[in-house]
Parts: sequence; C-alpha cells; structure tokens
Amino acid sequence: MRLLVVEDDKDLNRQLVKALSQAGYAVDSALDGEEGQFLGETEPYDAVILDLGLPKIDGVKVLESWREAGRVMPVLVLTARDAWSDKVKSFDAGADDYVTKPFHIEEILARLRALVRRASGHASSDLVCGPVRVDTRSGRVLVDGEAIRLTSHEYRLMSYLMHHVGRIISRTELVEHLYDQDFDRDSNTIEVFVGRLRKKLGIDVIKTIRGLGYVLEPPAPPSA
Amino acid sequence: MMSRFSLSRLSIGSRLFISAILCSLIILFGAGLVLSTIYRRASERAFDERLQVYVQSVAANLASKNVSNVFDPYGLGDPRFTLPLSGWYWQIRTEGLAKPEVTSSISLFGGRLPKLETLNVPAHDGTAREGYIIGPDERRLRLVERAIEFPDGSRFLVQIAGNADEIELTIQSFGKALWTSFGLLALALGVTTIFQVRFGLLPLSRLSNEISAIRRGSSDHVSGKFPDDISPVADEINLLLDVNRDILARARTQVGNLAHALKTPLSVLINEVSDEDTPIANKVREQTSLMRDQVNWHLDRARAAARAGVIGVATDIAPAVAGLERTFLKIYTDKNLTIESILAPDLKFRGEKQDLEEMLGNLVDNACKWARRQVVIKASAFTGANDHPFVVFDVSDDGPGLPPEKRTEVIKRGERLDETVPGTGLGLSIVADLAKLYGGELTLDSAENGGLRALLRLPAV
Repeated sequence: MRLLVVEDDKDLNRQLVKALSQAGYAVDSALDGEEGQFLGETEPYDAVILDLGLPKIDGVKVLESWREAGRVMPVLVLTARDAWSDKVKSFDAGADDYVTKPFHIEEILARLRALVRRASGHASSDLVCGPVRVDTRSGRVLVDGEAIRLTSHEYRLMSYLMHHVGRIISRTELVEHLYDQDFDRDSNTIEVFVGRLRKKLGIDVIKTIRGLGYVLEPPAPPSA
Repeated sequence: MMSRFSLSRLSIGSRLFISAILCSLIILFGAGLVLSTIYRRASERAFDERLQVYVQSVAANLASKNVSNVFDPYGLGDPRFTLPLSGWYWQIRTEGLAKPEVTSSISLFGGRLPKLETLNVPAHDGTAREGYIIGPDERRLRLVERAIEFPDGSRFLVQIAGNADEIELTIQSFGKALWTSFGLLALALGVTTIFQVRFGLLPLSRLSNEISAIRRGSSDHVSGKFPDDISPVADEINLLLDVNRDILARARTQVGNLAHALKTPLSVLINEVSDEDTPIANKVREQTSLMRDQVNWHLDRARAAARAGVIGVATDIAPAVAGLERTFLKIYTDKNLTIESILAPDLKFRGEKQDLEEMLGNLVDNACKWARRQVVIKASAFTGANDHPFVVFDVSDDGPGLPPEKRTEVIKRGERLDETVPGTGLGLSIVADLAKLYGGELTLDSAENGGLRALLRLPAV
C-alpha cells in the first residue's frame, strides 16, 4: 500500500511518515499544497493523508482538484479546525474521513486501515483468502492459523494482493503501489519478492498470468 | 392602558400631528376671540352712532328751544319711541335745578332711565357716555347719554336707549359664521397635516421597514435611495453591519488560526513520546492531553462568544441539514446507519450557518454515536410569544437513551466553568450554550423506541 502525506509542519510530517512506514506502508510526503496536489494527480496512491491548512494551495482546493480530475483514492483529512461546518466542507469537497488535531498516530493508522479496506470492498479488518489470513490491525500474516514472518516489503506486497483477491495485478501496478517515489523501481525485484513470498507461504495462492501479472486466488480444492 | 402610555414612546408622526393640531387650534381660537371682540366693538360703535343721531337731534331741538318739538311724542320720527316698553327710549333731564325735571318718551311708560354717571361709566369728551343698563322691562339696553350746557347756563342730560338685543343678534350671527369657517379651516389644516406627516415621514418608515427586514434576516443591507438628511443614517447602519460582520469573521479566523497554531505542535508532542515509556514521556503525555482538552474547550467557548450579537443573517435549514447528512453517512459508513430527515419546507434559521451546523452537527453526531440503525432529524416551524417565529429540531436515535437524571447534567456540564473537567462529551453542552446565545433552548427527552430525543428550539425567520 502506498500513501501520500501532505502536511506542512515538518515535525508532524516526519512523525507521520515514520509511523506509517513502520506500519508497512510505502509513504511519499509533501510539505505544501502545490507539491501535494501534483503528487496526488500523478501517482497512484492507495490513500492520502491531507492537512487542510496548507501553504500555497489550501487543502480543500487540493482535494477538490483531485476529485475533479477523477482521482478516487480515499482521503483522510487532517485539521485543527474542528467545527462541523469545516467538516461538512471537507466531506463535500470529497474527503472520506476526518481526524482533528491533536491526534494519536494510532488513530490515524486505524482510520487508514478502514479507508483502504473499504476502498477495496472489504468489510472486515481480517482479509482472508483460503487458508491465508492477513490481520491488517496487527500486520500479521497467518497460514492455516500459523503466523509467518515477513519483511516489510513482503508484507506490503502480501497486503496489496490480499486487498485485491481475484484481480489480475500487473507488475507496474505493484511497483507503483508498493514503493515510494524515491525507491529505485525495478520491476524485476517484484519477481524476486513474489518468489520469496511463495516460498514463505508454502502454498500456491499467488499465480502468475504470463504477460499480464499476478493474481491471488484460493487454492483449487483437491480434485480427487 | 393609560399606565402603558408614555410620551417618549409616542411616534414621530403622532408628535408632529398632535403638535401641529394643537398649535393651529390655539392660533385659530385666539384669532377668533380677537376677531369677535373687534366685531363687537365695531357693532357697538355703529349702534352708538345711530343713537348719537337722536341725541344730536334732541340737542338741536333743545337749542332752538323748540320745546314742543322736543316733547312731541313723535318728534324723533321713530315710532318705536311711542310704543310702550319697545326697548327704545329717550329721556331729558334738566340739571342744575333744585329738583331735576325729567321728560321722557312715551315708550318709557313712566319709568326712568338711570344715569350712567352713577353707574361709574367713564365719560369721554368730558360729556358723553355709553354703556349697558337693564331697562324698565328687564331688558338689556344700550344707553347713550350726553350732558349739554347752553350759553345761558341751562344744562340738560340727554339719554337715548336702544334695544341691546340688536347688537347681540348681529354679533351672534357673525360669531356663528366665524366659528363655522374657523372649524372648517381647522379641519382642512388637520387633513393637510396628516398628509404632510405621512409624506414627510415616508423615508423614515421605509428605513424602519428596511431595518426590521435586516433584523428578521430577510435582508442583509439597508437598500434603496433616501433623502439627503437621512441617507447618512442608512449609510452608517450599513457600515455598522459591515463592521459587525467583519469583526465576527476576523474573530473566527483568529480562533481558527489559534487552533491551528496550538494543535499542530501538540500533535507533534503527543506523537513524539507515543513510543516511549519513560517518566518524562509519561509526564508529557499526561500534560499534552490536558492541554489538548483545555485548548478544545476554550476554543469552543471563544467561538461561541465571537458569535453573540450577530444581526441580519439568515440560514436556509434544508441545505445545512443535507450537508450534515452527507457528512455523517460518510463518517459512520461502517455502522450502516440510515439518517432520515423530515423538514417543513422553506425553514430559515435566524443566525449564522456555521452555528446552525455546529449545533445540529453535535446533536446528530451524538445520535449517530449511540444509534443502532437509525437517526431521525425533524424540523418544523412554530410561532411563539409575541409572534416570534421559531424552528424546533427533533433529533432522535434508536440507541440506549439517557436516564432523566443524567440529561440535565449532560446539558449543564459546560455552565459551571470551574467545576468542569474539560474533555469529551461536551458536545451537548456546547449546543445548549450556543442555543442560549440565540435565545433558544435544548431539551432532552426519550424517543418512542427508547433512544435519546433532543429538542432544539431556535429563532426562525
């Protein structure tokens, strides 16, 4: 999952990026409205954390321009203004959720998980595909009830696939959603990660569709 | 009724009208009095002159010693002197003798005319007097007398009396005509005054209509052209309204800026220590959460205070409710709530949109928090005391509700500032405070299905 954080306070921005990266997200960050708007328009994010009081371009305007341009990623609005009129304005501009400052990072994480899950059509925080289960709250992956240890990159890949079970996902899409913009993007590394993931899972749920990409499917019932 | 009457509350129109009418009545009455006095004098003088003619002819007769002529009952050529008690008399008194000799007209019928001199009537020209007396027939008479002294030393007092009713009759008919025409004049003046007052005060009543439209909230400026003498007032009112709005907007922006300025660093502090478990980290956590609550609590109060005394603002209720509905459906997506709103058409709240959204937002948020499946928002218009229109919002949920003894506590929490621990759950007390600022009220009740029902009464347009 790849996120964008648009927050003009340097300290808060750093804290958010750090906490989100630790939680297994690939995170880009912007310090003003202009940069934020550009990134949101050009990069495929799975969710955005957007502060409203931004220099250069106001947060609400940034959000509106994204929605006008047809960008539908979930946006979590972050603001110190907690009057209901401000909230109505942000939701009408296209926000999906709203957190008022000051906040605990845990709250942001919980809201983000819910947003990403909802955006991919899942109702529960547990993502299940056959014997594989991903608990998005704790960031654990279980196969047949047994936890397996994944690196953060592997978890990101697993989580993205689990959010889109049954859909063919191209390598480019994976690259775009798994790495932040500063990462050296080489689609070959995806193959390496997929290989490692298959080995760690021990069961055949990630299938390769030649020329198109990968698809996560529950293993076919043993035909006998 | 009279005890309520106060001169200082009298309308300008009535003041102008009453003072104009009073002045014209006094002037007309005075003029009438002067005119009738002058007319009376003139009538008396004319009558006296008629009588003087007789005095002169008697004097001429006396001078020519034409005594027989003098004593001729028909000598003065007027038959009224011969008719008994006709009211027309003459009398000649020979003076200077030991016993005065008196000759009089037949009409006097043996009676005597009194001397004006003895009635203390002052003489003019030394010898002539005029005055009223009561005659032998008890009628009022006008009497003219003159003392005549001939060179031979003989002195006479010639008296001629005429019926005073004649004078009174002419004066009366004059008076009737005078007061009738003055009455008509007063009426005409009154009508003119009414017209003048109405016409003259037209711009003022237009101004007052404009201002009450602003107060009702159906207009936000004094518009239209006014005459030079009151257009400064209209301009000042507009300026005042602008300044008022400006101050309000600035106060809000400042509160917002303060919120932003304080809350972002607070977020940084809170998150900086979130992973640490040292004594200092715990202290920072404890203190920052205290600071956060205090900042929130005081900002809410400051916002509310910045709102007091707004005039000339009205907010459409339907769009505000629709906006909140959209918002809450998004916020509570996971609860799968249905929010139903039943609004009377064309409702308008007399106040700021932000305030309406703040009050309703808190109520609906609270309802959504506790609701199991459904939140219902109703709004309807009522007319209260003094014909003031107001709107009542009824927000109910199907949640667990609140026991009656807790309801007042929840509403009152914000009032006792010092005993209060600022924190969560202040939403309803903020609604109650804001509603009070607008002269409204928040009451809590239980809904039919056991949930909480909040009734919010606010001024409407």
